[in-house]
This record gives sequence, structure tokens and C-alpha cells, in this order.
Amino acid sequence: MTLLECRGLSVGYAATPIRRRDRGPDPQLQLRAPVLDRLDLTVGPNESVAVLGPSGSGKTTLLQAVAGFQAPWAGEILLHDRVVASATRVEAPERRNVGLVFQHYALWPHMSALDNVAYPLRRAGSPAAAARREARELLNRMGLGELAGRRPEQLSGGQQQRVGLARALARHPDLYLFDEPTAHLDAALRTALQEELSQRRGETGAGALYATHDAAEALAVADRVALLRDGRVVQSGTPVEVYDRPLDLWAARLTGAASVLRAEVAPTQPGRARLRLGGIPVEVVADCVSAELPGPAPVLVRPNWAGLGGPLPGLVRQAWYRGPHTDYRLESPGGEVVVRRPGPPSARAGDRVGWSLERVWPLVSPG
Amino acid sequence: MADRHGPQRAWERAGRLGVWLALAALVGYPVLRLLTTAAAEGADAVVAAVALPGTGSAVAGTLWSSAAAAAAAVTGGVLAALAVERAAVPSRRWLRVGLLMPVLIPPFVSALSWGAAYGPGGVLDDAVGVTLPGLYGPAGVVAVIAVNALPLAYLVTAAALAGRAEPDLERAARASGASSPAALATVTLPLLRPALGAAAVLCFTYAANSFAVPAVLGTPAGFETMTTRIYRGLAFSADPAVFTQVLVLAVALLVVALTSVAAADAMAAPGSVRRTAAPAGAVHGGAGRRGRRVAAAVWAYVALTSAAPFAALVLVALTRAAGLAPVPANWTLEHFSEALRGPTVGGLGRSLQLAAAAATVLVPLGGLVVALERVAATRRLGILATLTFAIPGSALAIAALLAYGRWLGGSLAIILVAYLGKFWALAQRPIAGAADRLPPDLYRAARASGAAGPAALRTIVVPSLAPALAAAWLLAFLFAFHELPMSGLLYGPGTATLAVVVLNLQQVGDAGVTAALAVLLTLGLLVAAAPLLLVRGART
Repeated sequence: MTLLECRGLSVGYAATPIRRRDRGPDPQLQLRAPVLDRLDLTVGPNESVAVLGPSGSGKTTLLQAVAGFQAPWAGEILLHDRVVASATRVEAPERRNVGLVFQHYALWPHMSALDNVAYPLRRAGSPAAAARREARELLNRMGLGELAGRRPEQLSGGQQQRVGLARALARHPDLYLFDEPTAHLDAALRTALQEELSQRRGETGAGALYATHDAAEALAVADRVALLRDGRVVQSGTPVEVYDRPLDLWAARLTGAASVLRAEVAPTQPGRARLRLGGIPVEVVADCVSAELPGPAPVLVRPNWAGLGGPLPGLVRQAWYRGPHTDYRLESPGGEVVVRRPGPPSARAGDRVGWSLERVWPLVSPG
Repeated sequence: MADRHGPQRAWERAGRLGVWLALAALVGYPVLRLLTTAAAEGADAVVAAVALPGTGSAVAGTLWSSAAAAAAAVTGGVLAALAVERAAVPSRRWLRVGLLMPVLIPPFVSALSWGAAYGPGGVLDDAVGVTLPGLYGPAGVVAVIAVNALPLAYLVTAAALAGRAEPDLERAARASGASSPAALATVTLPLLRPALGAAAVLCFTYAANSFAVPAVLGTPAGFETMTTRIYRGLAFSADPAVFTQVLVLAVALLVVALTSVAAADAMAAPGSVRRTAAPAGAVHGGAGRRGRRVAAAVWAYVALTSAAPFAALVLVALTRAAGLAPVPANWTLEHFSEALRGPTVGGLGRSLQLAAAAATVLVPLGGLVVALERVAATRRLGILATLTFAIPGSALAIAALLAYGRWLGGSLAIILVAYLGKFWALAQRPIAGAADRLPPDLYRAARASGAAGPAALRTIVVPSLAPALAAAWLLAFLFAFHELPMSGLLYGPGTATLAVVVLNLQQVGDAGVTAALAVLLTLGLLVAAAPLLLVRGART
């Protein structure tokens, strides 16, 4: 069983009316530039999936389509293995058991925080007193018990976000949809919210779909990360997979800091390879290298795969102090590379240093 | 905005003084004269005037017909706004233009058109023998006023929808399990409540102040409102008791209008509803079947209430004589050429002059008030100037006559004085609205870039407001151009405006020439207003 399945989902906005005969998978579809383009995605029970993409990649549109505010041009959306949206039939949002947390909170300004949270319970048929009791309970768990009587405008951004979350929880959904859930929060609040979210999901066995442009958040909260580019999922995998083995340079840059070196690569034993950088040989961890790569090939290096101090020569161009560690941008025989070392800066721009390499990921050459 | 610590600057003091003097001369003193003259008549005369036949029925007729028209207009306006602004409808811009059309058609033209289309002897009667029952009488008055007031309710609701109840709030309700009607009842309408109150009051005062529609459709059937009673009393009677009645009615009309505006002010508590987030961008996909159905319904409404009546009026103007079938064999342009002879040309020239003069004086005046409001961070002056629009034209005309009639009676100048008092708000509101939408940081950025206050105003603020200034001028011009009750009460020999000429022609009973003139007037107005309507329709 899956909680959510999107099959070949195409969704778009049109300036001109779309006639019925134009819908469906036809060649014309691409001319109208869909926001989501034949997208496939699943979310299983107790699974949290992050959709990671730059702005304009279609993240919000995906959530709107799953929630029922955007009709597909083509393809299907299934909730609990039941088709809720296709090109011919769209089930109303209130009939889909999903909890949506809005990017800009979307709290109703004419209701108190308590009434905002009680609203889904009332709509589900709870008597007023019971609905308010449960809403108060939810607000207490969010640490907002004293603020229950306030109007949204009297709450800070973080408090509004938590009221919005409580409102989604009050619906007891099987699937949570989060639109940039921590985009407007400070770091401390963000951590607290993420903890609350994963705890709640663990308790109820519900799934969650996060839309975010923040790689650190996506890797931290999700069991699986789907990379969205121009309305299509280009790569999907565990956070470790998408970080360590990105599909291409675009995916690598989306999921974190990345440098590209040019080196001669030859496999030594399974999972390891010998690199020659400017004539100096290095033995590194390198998955998926089965044969010698011809000529100097591009390989990806994450900052934490390389360290300061070692046999390779480099010239420091810049040093960034990050708190727990320092990143150094080096000019080296294979090209520019960012390496990482714990602690405050130990070299300055212009210094000549040695560095080491532990791991690389060969990039498939484009085309 | 600006700090209020330093001494008031010289221009500010002079401007404030000028605005107060203008308000006092245009509105304050005349209204005072109206009240003191009515009081000076003495209690007995007032009691006698109230007891005079027609007073009570005119007051009652005004109140209930205005309430009924306002209820219909608000219901229709809100439905139309929700349908057109919220649903995915095809060619939304043109739907808006169609719905706003009655604003541009002078009320006496729409009253004449409805008579020509649906009245006895009208086009529908000729063609299939069907007339709208009660068109001449209270029902017809209510219907036509409601049609004319609907755009006001529509605009107020659409503005509230655009500014406040952003789609995410309704989506949140739907995602919380509310059905579409439940979301409407629990989220959309409660958020619109202040706008609904404002729209109701606007439509009610509009209806209470309207003169042309009851004059054309009510008076022939013996249904009188306060405005038509005032007009008849002043125009056709020399009896001093009737003059007292006119005074009493004018004061009563003033009280009705200002009371309802005060009620609206109390209802719309400031800041009771505030937006929580930026409105979502394009939210709807292509128009579905439902959107097309909505559009079809709106077009049908526009056709029945605006297009068909106007077409009937055109047919009447084209047909050689009343009673002949409106077919091409009986068509002639005689009425049009006759309409353009005689008193019409003079009336046209005077209406153009008056309207252009009023608009040209009012736009700088309105701009000055907007600037003063923002410098002093107080809205008192602006609210006062806006309030003058609520003063019924009939009452303001009587007041102006009492205040300045001795020197200016029967001249164009007294009509201009009344226009300036009445249409001030029309010129000021678009400017104030645009100034509110202008981010204050634009001005601050100009100052921070080295521009002095006046230079920043000239190079940044005024250019940004240019469309609003043009809209303000055009709005004041259009309303002054087809204004009726005031010029009807104030004109003298040789100073009849075009609207007065049309009204007098209609009362003489020359249907063909009246229709021809009304058609020409409306077409001229539509052409003049096209830029305004298209710009309005394109925005929001």
C-alpha cells in the first residue's frame, strides 16, 4: 500500500481556456509548458519524502495538486491506492484526507488561534466543546496554550507556523503536506519544529511530503529525497544516496557544496580507485568505477571528502570560517577544490598548503 | 510617516488653510444656510410642511425603495464579484467591463432605455406583446436603481477580495475538510463583512440620492421620492408652503444620507481584519465548464440589463415615429439631426465646460488633501472631503441656492460651486488609493539618493501616480458631465446643461429626439471613458 502515488502527473497553468479535447497525453501538451511534467512519485506509510528543487521547479504546484487545488492535465494522483485526480475527474480537497501546512501559514484572521485549530474538527462533525478541547490540547503540545485566545496578527511568525501545524494535525490526516515549512523560522525554532514533526509522524504512522529548496533541511528531515527539475523528478533516493552519488553536476550542486576536479581514474578493487592529480597518485573511495576512465575525467568532491594536510599541493585562495569547521578554497593541479578542516582557520589566502583526498564521485560526462 | 516634531512648513499651513476654506465655502456654509433657513421657518411652518400631502409618502418611498435596491444590488454585486474574481472564468477583463458598464451610462439614459425596451409601447411590447409589469412605478424604480448600483457593490467586494481574503485562506478551509459552501460561509463571507457593510451603505445612499430614475419611471406612475418631490416643488410651484416642504425634505435627505454613512463608519472598525500574507499569484488553471457557465450567466445579465435596453433606445431614436415597427423600412436619422439643433448644442458646450472646469479644479485639490494627509499622518481632512460625496445632490443644490443664489442664481458659476462640493471625493479617492498602494520606501529611497522633498515628489511620486491622476480627472469629468439633480435645480435661462435639455425634452414627450440625444450622449461618454475602463479592467 502507498499513501500517495503520482503517475505521469502533468499540471500547468494556462492563460487560455483548455478545451476538453486538448487534455490528456497529446503532443500539444508540451507546447503549453506544464509546471509538472509527467512526474512520478510515491510516499509510503510512515515515510517522509522531501521534494527538493530550486524556486520555479514546481514544488508548490505539486503540493497544490495533491491537496486538490490544481487539476492535472494528464496522469493520476492516488491516495491510499484510490485515484483522486485524473484529467477527467478531480475529487474535492475536503474529501482527501491530507493535512496541508502553508508556506505563509494562511491562518484565518477573523478567528482566534484556538478556533483556527478547532476548525477541521468542527468540519469533521465534532461538537463545538469537544473540538475546542482537542484544539486546546494540540496547542498545549505546541507550547502555545497561553496564546490560544489570540488572533493570528497578534502572534509571531514562528507561533503562527505552529498554529498552522496544529491545524493540520487536527485533521488527523494520513499524509502531511508541508510547503517550505521552516523557510520563515530562525535556526532554533526550525530545529524544534523538525523534532516535533518527526515525533508526531512516528506516533501516527502517517506519511509526509515536504517541499523545500533548502538542501540541509531536505537531507535532515526526509527518509527519501526527490530532486525536482523543471517539473520532473530527476533523481530519487535516501539522503545519503543523493548526497554521495548525485546524478549529475546540477543534482550535486542542489544537494550541497561541490567541487569538480579533473583526474585520471583507474579502478583498483571494488569501490576504490587510483587517481592521478597533476602526476601525483592518490588512492580514494570511489563507487561505480569499473573501468579506467579515459583522459582526465571530471570527478565530484564534497568539502568533507577532502582535508587540509596531505601529499597534494594547493594554493589557498580563500578561507571561510563556519564555526565548527573551516572551508578552504584551493587552487590545485586538478582544478579548484574546497576542502574542510575542523577548527578555526589555520591558513590564509596566498599560503601554500598540502591537502588530502578520501573520496570522489565520478561525474557522468554530459552527452 | 514623517516626524511631527518640527514646525509646520509654510506650504503645509497654506495648503491646510486653503483646503479648509474650500470645504467651508463649497459645502460647510451652504449646508449651514440650509439648516438655518429651515430652522428660521419656525416650528409651525415645518409641521405644516410635514403635514402637506406628499411629504410622508416621499420619505417612506425613498427609504423603502432605497433599502430594497441596496439589498438587491449588494446581493448581486457580491455574487458577481465572487463568480468573476474567484472562479476561473474566460476573458475576466471583459466580464468586468460589462459589469461596470452601468457606471458609464447616465442614470436617466438607463431609465429611458428600460422604458424603451420593456415598457408599454416598448420594443419588446411591439415585437411579442410583453411588458415588464410595474416598470413604471416603485418596482421599476427599484430594479433600475439596483442595476445601476450593482457596480458599486461589485467594486467594493472585488477590492476586498483582492486585498484581503487571499485564496490560501479558503484553500486552508478546504484542506481542513470544509466543502465549498462551508468555506464560503465560514471563511470568505466573514472576511468580507466590513466590505459588505460598506457596499450596503454606498448602494443605499446612492439609491436615496438618485433622481433621474424615479423622475423618469416613478413620477409618471405617481410614485415619488424625496428627490423628485424636491424637484417638483422647486420647479413647478411658487407656494411658500411648498418651499418649506422642499427645505424639510432636503434636510431629511441630508440626515438619511449622513446617518447611514456614520453607521457604516462604525461597522467597519479599522483593522478588524488584516491580511496575513501576500496574495498568491495566478491560482487558477484554465476555465473549466463551470467557469464558462458563470461567464455565460454574467453575459446574459449584462445583455438583459444594459445592452438590450440601450439597443431598444437606439431603435426608438432611429424609428421615424412612435408606434411604427422598428424595422429598417421605418428608419431615419431625422431625430439625430434634430437633436443636434436648437438648445442641444449650447447645452453640450456648457456641460463640457462645467465638467472640464470641475475636474481641473478638483484634481489638484484632491492631490493636495492626499499630500497633507500623508505629511500629517491624519486622515481627518480626507474623510471630511470624502463625506461630502454622501450629501445628496438635491440637498446640496438647495443649500447652494440659499447661500449664493442672491449673487450667482441662474448662472453657470453656481452649478460649478455645487459640482465642486459634490464631486470632490471622486477626484480624491483614486489619488488616495494609488498613494496608499505606493510603497513609502520609494519616496524614502529618492530622499536617500539625494533628492529634496519637492524633487522626490516631482520625480518619483507624481509620475507613479500619473495614471491615478488621469483616472481622477476623468471620473470627475464623467460624473459632472451627466449630472442631473443639481443642474436641474440650479439652471437658469441660457444655462441648461445637456442632461437638463434631455430631461426637459422627455417631459415634453418627444420620445424620438430624447432617445437620439440620450444615445449620442452615452456614446460620447463611452468613448471618453474607454481608457479608464480598460485600465481599471486590466488591473487587479
